[in-house]
Amino acid sequence: MKFINLIFKSLMRSKRRTFLILGTLVLSVFLITILQSLLATLDSVSNQSTEGNRFIVRHKSGLTQFLPISYGDYLRQQPEVIAVANSQWFGGYYQDPKNFFANFANDHTTMFTVFSDTVAGMTDAEIKEYQRDGTGCIVGQILADKFGWKVGDTIPLTGTIFPISPRLTIRGIFKARLASDENTLYFHYKLLEESVPFMKGKTGAFWVKTKTPEDLPRLSNRIDNHFANSPEETLSETENAFYLTFVKMLGNIGAIIHGVTIAVIIAITIVTIGTMSMAFKERTTEIAVLRAMGFSASRVLFLLMGEGLLLVTLGGALGIGLASLVAKILREVLGSALMFLQDFRLANETILICMGLTLAIGLISTIIPAIVATRKSIVEGLRAL
Amino acid sequence: MNQSFKAPIVHIHNLSKSYFRETLEIPVLQGLDLDIPSGGFYALMGPSGSGKTTLLNLIAGIDRPSGGVLEVCGSNLNQLDDDELASWRNQNVGFIFQNYNLIPVLNAFENVELPLLLTPLTRTQRKEKVEEALTLVNLMDRLENYPRQLSGGQEQRVAIARAIVGNPMLLVADEPTGALDAKNADEVLAMMQKLNEEFGKTILVVTHDPKAANFARHQVHLEKGVLDKTVEVNR
Repeated sequence: MKFINLIFKSLMRSKRRTFLILGTLVLSVFLITILQSLLATLDSVSNQSTEGNRFIVRHKSGLTQFLPISYGDYLRQQPEVIAVANSQWFGGYYQDPKNFFANFANDHTTMFTVFSDTVAGMTDAEIKEYQRDGTGCIVGQILADKFGWKVGDTIPLTGTIFPISPRLTIRGIFKARLASDENTLYFHYKLLEESVPFMKGKTGAFWVKTKTPEDLPRLSNRIDNHFANSPEETLSETENAFYLTFVKMLGNIGAIIHGVTIAVIIAITIVTIGTMSMAFKERTTEIAVLRAMGFSASRVLFLLMGEGLLLVTLGGALGIGLASLVAKILREVLGSALMFLQDFRLANETILICMGLTLAIGLISTIIPAIVATRKSIVEGLRAL
Repeated sequence: MNQSFKAPIVHIHNLSKSYFRETLEIPVLQGLDLDIPSGGFYALMGPSGSGKTTLLNLIAGIDRPSGGVLEVCGSNLNQLDDDELASWRNQNVGFIFQNYNLIPVLNAFENVELPLLLTPLTRTQRKEKVEEALTLVNLMDRLENYPRQLSGGQEQRVAIARAIVGNPMLLVADEPTGALDAKNADEVLAMMQKLNEEFGKTILVVTHDPKAANFARHQVHLEKGVLDKTVEVNR
């Protein structure tokens, strides 16, 4: 500890240089942390631990095509099926387009069975009240907190895809495991079907809950085969595969993120090696004086390494702090437009990996110039005036 | 005066030092014999390239001889490894350089404290010793000042305080007045004389300046790497 003052003051010898390299480190760590967290969030979207016995049946041609509601009859007849809920993304906003959040028209009778894990925490009385009221809706706790809504409030929802603006009465507030699930509003499918003529007898998708996860492969094949060669062919897929289609819309983002991360690591390592080499070279005589005074080569190496590690630790901590702040802003500002960003957080693992990477960069970039600096003989160092 | 010339603090016998430029051997010191008694004040003199700085470096333990016997402060320096030699220097030798070589980012107090950071002394004990050393060089009012805020003479006095703070037996100085004006040079030399006479420090100074050499008790003249003569100074 008695050397910390010496290490700190040596580091601050050239404030401009130190702050420039610190700024570079902060930006690099910030970039790596944000990108890796983004990747982790996307991974968690496509690998979330949902109920294994739920899958989705949608139009084979894409998410914008509708299926006949009558397909639901066939689905319900299958012996493995517990419940089926037809569902449609409504895409409405509350009062102002900025107040955009996920909202769906869902089968109000079966959704509590099909989505028992993501729509939870409501009393039986609240569920019954919602099911009774054709213009009722239920909202997630985060969404209710955001707008200060409570049960009984009327929510005007302006459609952006469908030409209707229903006024919905909140009949219940539910809880969910993920923030994105709790940022959602559901209303009766019948309301959409009855208000929008072209949706009569149509739905965007069916959510199907089976008795066991093992039923899924056999059942989804059977369903897709049954509707093959019909005018509206189906594509049955697991929930994770379904979410993955949204992620894939962004392209091979994983490879891009890893590529950028590696490029940043290499660049910052080279820059730090250059800076530390220059800094140590300027102090050749000083290092020789310290050694003449009795500081051993290993002690001087420790002091120089301390400077490098202090610098990268500071840069790493500030970079991660900045990334955490930006993640919060992204969640709040872009979360309503890009659903997966509602779950965007810096995972502990990501923080640990980034901090470890930063320390590794510090070690690698300091040890080489530090060894070079301490290997020079004292006499040679004193002559370097 | 505290003079005790009993045992030599520096014992040199048949000492040699050569440098190599690629395969070419360049002898700098050859067959040197010299004893410096404890409490002595010696000036090493000679023309450029005579080997006086090399001899000083060898005695101070910052360079290794090519051959011969080199015993300083009771230790055979040839037998110490690099870490032992570093520790030995910290305990036995104080350095004064021509260009002061203070650490620019540390203030006077912190510069003087540096050698003590390697000792087991507590913070309070270190503070006492640093203040004692700075008092001795009349710089107690400058302990918060950084080297850039001091004059050349003051910087050299801080360097002297740094050299003596650990109470070493031997002080070595390479052209300590080379960068100073006459007034400051006299002050620094008088201070070294005081350290020798009142505190019994053994002092070894490399200098070109005959006036500076006259502050010493003995002048050792080197010529082309061999000992030419040793002269006692009459004051």
